[in-house]
Amino acid sequence: MRFEEKYKTELETGQVSKHTQFNYAWSLTRSPNTNDIKKGAHLLQDLCTHGTDQRDYLYFLAEANYKLSEYQIALKYINRVLDIEPNNKQAKELKEKIEKKMKRDGVLGAAIAGAGMVVVGGTVLALAGAAALVGILVKKK
Amino acid sequence: MANKVDAKVVLLGKEYSGKTCLVERYLHDRFNKDIPYQNTIGAAFGAKREVIDDKSLTLGIWDTAGSERYEAMSRIYYRGAMAAIICYDLTDSSSFDKVKFWVNELRTHEKNCAIFLCGTKLDITKQDKRKRQVDYHSTTDYADEIHAKVFETSSLTGENVGEMFYDVAKTCLEKPVAKAPKEISSLKLVEPKPKKRCPCS
Repeated sequence: MRFEEKYKTELETGQVSKHTQFNYAWSLTRSPNTNDIKKGAHLLQDLCTHGTDQRDYLYFLAEANYKLSEYQIALKYINRVLDIEPNNKQAKELKEKIEKKMKRDGVLGAAIAGAGMVVVGGTVLALAGAAALVGILVKKK
Repeated sequence: MANKVDAKVVLLGKEYSGKTCLVERYLHDRFNKDIPYQNTIGAAFGAKREVIDDKSLTLGIWDTAGSERYEAMSRIYYRGAMAAIICYDLTDSSSFDKVKFWVNELRTHEKNCAIFLCGTKLDITKQDKRKRQVDYHSTTDYADEIHAKVFETSSLTGENVGEMFYDVAKTCLEKPVAKAPKEISSLKLVEPKPKKRCPCS
């Protein structure tokens, strides 16, 4: 991968240009591999603190976190893009996608939590039953 | 089958040459004068179905960012494209230099990609002829050389936009290879069937 090569060569010389870091970070966020996306997001975050082209870095950070299912973080970044450009169509569309996932996960999360309660409840009952049984057996002796 | 893309089309060209407005006009038939210019982040995707005679196909359109910083990434977007629409601003001669750059790129890396040259902002040149900086005939001469077609469009009025995309769709449909060639289409893995056991054993 040529973006990676360029980044590594510059890293060895001790001076990585923003452009090189951005290209490499961007290509990493395109990867199907979660670790690559995380690495890409990390490099983008670094650019956000040091770079000037905030809008694009923030957008790709939101996108990377969306891919990582980190919707809260993704939402935070996309809102920052929309603070800069409230009418940005790409940002609005990504925000919609993030919110849709959050809604779905919210419903799903509640369902899982509910199911968990039932399981926990069942276990408590079973334990109580077992204890009672032990109690009876002890008494009988 | 609504979401299936039959042909990948990529839009290339200098920043501010009107790629996003062109796509907006084609996909949604609108032009928003009130929104200030915003350069595209990376690339945006849109799709539309075209019907030609009794056949239909869905164009998947990649609207790439024109700014130089994204140039290195564009290769990822034009890879495997059946057609490329290279935009230039009719009122800015320097935008045509970029056309030549993209033609070169495509001819080197995507030999099978059909090229369309698209002059934009035709309405401005019609309103004031002095605003035109790119000559129509020298463009068609160049297009003949590289086997490309030329359309001059206005996303503001919609002039020639539908016609161009119709032609793009038609060209994609007529291409001998309808789909991207599969790399190992001729290779088939066949697992030997287990031999039937004799029922008597």
